[in-house]
Amino acid sequence: MQFNYKELGFKCGLEIHQRLDTSTKLFCRCSTGQETAEPIMSVERYQRAVAGETGHVDRSTSFESGRKREFKYRVFRNTTCLVDMDEEPPHHASQEALETALRIAAYLDASVPDEIEPMRKEVVDGSNPSAFQRSMMIGYGGMLKFGKGSIEIPSIFLEEESSGIEDAKGEFAVYRTDRLGIPLIEVDTSPAISNPKEAKEIAMQIGLLLRLSGKVQRGIGSIRQDVNVSIKRGTRVEVKGLQELDRMDAIIEKEVERQVNLADIADELREKKASVGSPIDITKIFKGTQSQIIGNELKKNGVVLGTRLAKFKGVVGREINEGKRLGTEISDYAKKAGVKGIIHGDESMEKYSISGHELKELEKELKLSNDDSFILIAAERSVAEKAMEYALLRAELSLQGVPPETRAAEPNSDTTRFMRPLPGGSRMYPETDILPINPDKDAYARMVKNKLSAEEIRKDLEADIGNRQLAEQMLWSYTYQSYLFLRENTTVQPNLIASILLEKFTELRRKGIAIDEISNEALQSIFDNYSKSRITKLGIEELLKLVPKSKAEVSGYIKEKSLSRLSGKEVEKLVRDNKGQSAEETRDRIMTKHRLNVDGAELNIAIRKIFGE
Amino acid sequence: MYSKKILEEFKAHGIEIGDRISIIESSGANEGMLMPRPDVGESDVIVIKRDDGYNIGIRHGKSTKIERVSGKPAAPHGGKTMAKQQKGLPKVTLLYTGGTIGSKLDYVSGGVKALTKAEELLAEVPELNGIAELEVKQIMSVFSEDMTHMEWKKIAEETAAAINNGAKGVIITHGTDTMHYTASALSFMLHDLNVPVVITGAQRSSDRGSSDAFMNLVCSAYAAAQSDVAEVTICMHANPSDKECLLIRGTKARKMHTSRRDAFKPVNNSAIARVSRKGEINYISAYKKHTESDAKTVATTSFEPKVALLNTYPNSSPELLDFLISKGYKGIILEGTGLGHMPINTEHPGYNWKKALKHAIDEGAVIGMTSQCIYGRVNSKVYSTARELAGLGVIYCEDMLPETAYVKLSFLLGNHKKEDAEKMLQKNIAGEITDRTEVDWVSDI
Repeated sequence: MQFNYKELGFKCGLEIHQRLDTSTKLFCRCSTGQETAEPIMSVERYQRAVAGETGHVDRSTSFESGRKREFKYRVFRNTTCLVDMDEEPPHHASQEALETALRIAAYLDASVPDEIEPMRKEVVDGSNPSAFQRSMMIGYGGMLKFGKGSIEIPSIFLEEESSGIEDAKGEFAVYRTDRLGIPLIEVDTSPAISNPKEAKEIAMQIGLLLRLSGKVQRGIGSIRQDVNVSIKRGTRVEVKGLQELDRMDAIIEKEVERQVNLADIADELREKKASVGSPIDITKIFKGTQSQIIGNELKKNGVVLGTRLAKFKGVVGREINEGKRLGTEISDYAKKAGVKGIIHGDESMEKYSISGHELKELEKELKLSNDDSFILIAAERSVAEKAMEYALLRAELSLQGVPPETRAAEPNSDTTRFMRPLPGGSRMYPETDILPINPDKDAYARMVKNKLSAEEIRKDLEADIGNRQLAEQMLWSYTYQSYLFLRENTTVQPNLIASILLEKFTELRRKGIAIDEISNEALQSIFDNYSKSRITKLGIEELLKLVPKSKAEVSGYIKEKSLSRLSGKEVEKLVRDNKGQSAEETRDRIMTKHRLNVDGAELNIAIRKIFGE
Repeated sequence: MYSKKILEEFKAHGIEIGDRISIIESSGANEGMLMPRPDVGESDVIVIKRDDGYNIGIRHGKSTKIERVSGKPAAPHGGKTMAKQQKGLPKVTLLYTGGTIGSKLDYVSGGVKALTKAEELLAEVPELNGIAELEVKQIMSVFSEDMTHMEWKKIAEETAAAINNGAKGVIITHGTDTMHYTASALSFMLHDLNVPVVITGAQRSSDRGSSDAFMNLVCSAYAAAQSDVAEVTICMHANPSDKECLLIRGTKARKMHTSRRDAFKPVNNSAIARVSRKGEINYISAYKKHTESDAKTVATTSFEPKVALLNTYPNSSPELLDFLISKGYKGIILEGTGLGHMPINTEHPGYNWKKALKHAIDEGAVIGMTSQCIYGRVNSKVYSTARELAGLGVIYCEDMLPETAYVKLSFLLGNHKKEDAEKMLQKNIAGEITDRTEVDWVSDI
């Protein structure tokens, strides 16, 4: 769909979160490396909602009462310590993380506070065992130049990464604490982005600057983009968890579409004087029902609740995004109480094997007229009641327009799904266990003065790699840091490093190989083996496919997979042993059997020696 | 506090803490709520809270301008949140002595305020509802490291009064550092105790959603309202999970970790019970039970202040003991090494304690021996050193914790003749000495 964004009063801002590649976590000295070991124990915690500062109970809080409060945390030997488990006060902030954050702030021409005040930001979903996230503002009043324009960067934060969720379905939400506390930098833009394409362009530019710091983690999940979108007739909605930039513009477009349609629906409902009724227990209608979906719940002593949606006929089934209806949104709310879904009046009752008689009875009980719709929920009583409460809340909100929500980007689609109501004013209070930090402002001034522009870095890269296209690609690539690392620590030609990191990595990633999990140590070892003629170029690729995590693993694979390079006399012997009619035939014979072990150039020399020129 | 220069600047502009101000520098302006200066950091850095909730500090330099934008934001409405108390439940008195448990953080001042009304506490910890009919009383607000026998006296008297007033149990909230000293003291002080006295606290402040305060309070309420234990106990997390608390005998508890929520462990003893967050009480060892009796609980509150706890170690100097005796100390609990040893046979006179010990005993001091091993029992029969120490008149305190022995000796000398105190030091009064040690009485922390 094509929108005139200016006319719609489109507002959009980005929050880019990037995990840093420091040697330790932000407030403890745990490793930030990939955890490969099994957890050593689990700790169960129960978190309370700390009562609001104002004592005001709003919609979102009442919604929270249905939220899980019991959590299980997986604890690891090397990547979890008592600080992570909220069992020891935090240690001082990682200097490496602070410096990296300031370097990024310098790229964005931000001002840095004279005193950085570590804060606690309340977290209610259990993703932090302390129930808050430590966060500090390290930059403000910055500016990002992109293409022909520029956008304000009002704030840059350095904060702790949350725990990764392992299982949200069971009795407990289960989290892994290996990722918890890794430094994360957040760069926010002002909500002045004028259209979805521009959002994507700005996100890419910020990603580039983050990578230029040379200290960001690579791989899926290490960068996350949250987008705030609103239109004049809508409201601010936060879309979380965009991991792939490719879809950002499409997702924003879909959100605009959603808001436009919801605003239209609200107008229509208000004009019709639509209203939401109260739930009624209509279990008795369904005694002996043929409907499996209802019958199964009744067998478990469940109940059926029904509510009239007056003058909603046709609106509940109205599409607001491709494949998503107002009914989907109502259902998404109800699901938060633990039901599988709802049945609404704009659906075909045959789909659920609800008989004509049952429908008549239902219409009678709920006092439905022709232009009314309804919601049915079948479940165990307390669950059904909660689910109906949430469903009716959403139905009620549809009279007002777009509800302020946090939504999650759905995998493999451009649409989003309801996560939770947008929290009110964020509850922040000082982290009293850590002293305020006085950044070295002279050092920061030097960083600002000496920072290189992306263009200058591209020129340097081009000179190094000797290929403009590769240099350009490298600058925008996640593997940029690995490139810097390998240039510093190996003697392999820059263009070979670049082509492997860009072309080979992309190829392997497409094949589904988790190439981004390869460690720097292993990468270095592979290239060292190559430069010392212990493996061939093709051997590099074979080793990459195995995604080794250490130097020892690389050596192990070389032996195990017979990847050692043959050279000198061994190659000459191969030529003699495989001698055919012609040089070509000999070459083919050898390469069929030994292509991973023989360097083509060296083989040619040996063949020439025997066959002559 | 802000520097004098800044305070003058505020005054000149009519600015008060909490006002919305703008700080103008060459690089731009920053607006936000003026926050009080934390007691750490530099006094000429002004801290403001931005609209996004973050605090930042900006140095007041020569070219910095400050402006008052507007006054304080309106105070949050509603004020106190109250919850209704359910009637007809066991009456439990909660005595608040200090610490962050049972208190609420004031987000504006940053200070901590005690919740002295049951209704306020119930609003804050709704899980307490339906367990007991609570009467909450703040009797002091003291850091646990600042507790003295004067505070112990006050706590004991308030506890006895509450019980004699009909409380079915008493909860005492207390800072954790010296909680086990207070627990020991109350164990010796309260006579004819016929209800549970449960001391609890928090290792993580109650301003965070993850605080251990809430479960500790809930489990303590179950123990105080529903258990038939007639002893002084400590009720704190059993392990790092929020599943259950241990109810530990007051004379056998010790803080064994600086920061973990399961810091308190029974030493040379089993816990009395496990109390789950849901209220199941699982008794795991013998304890003194509630009996039908009309006897009033009596608090005996005298302590001899001139009693000390003294550690011996390689190179330790007997001058320490000489000094205490010269200052009129009447009782010393030694934390010896191993089975209860200390240097009395070294050939280096400056490090040999024998003379000092003899002198102390001749001066009339009571000397008790415990072990810095913490776990296990002292024994004066195995090695000649201990035999000799016992011969000198050092009293071996069995499997008593050094801290408990210290409190006990101070209590005994405050209420009894020296000869009786010596005898009683070696005898069990309040569960502090057991005559057998079970094989799993060692913590795995």
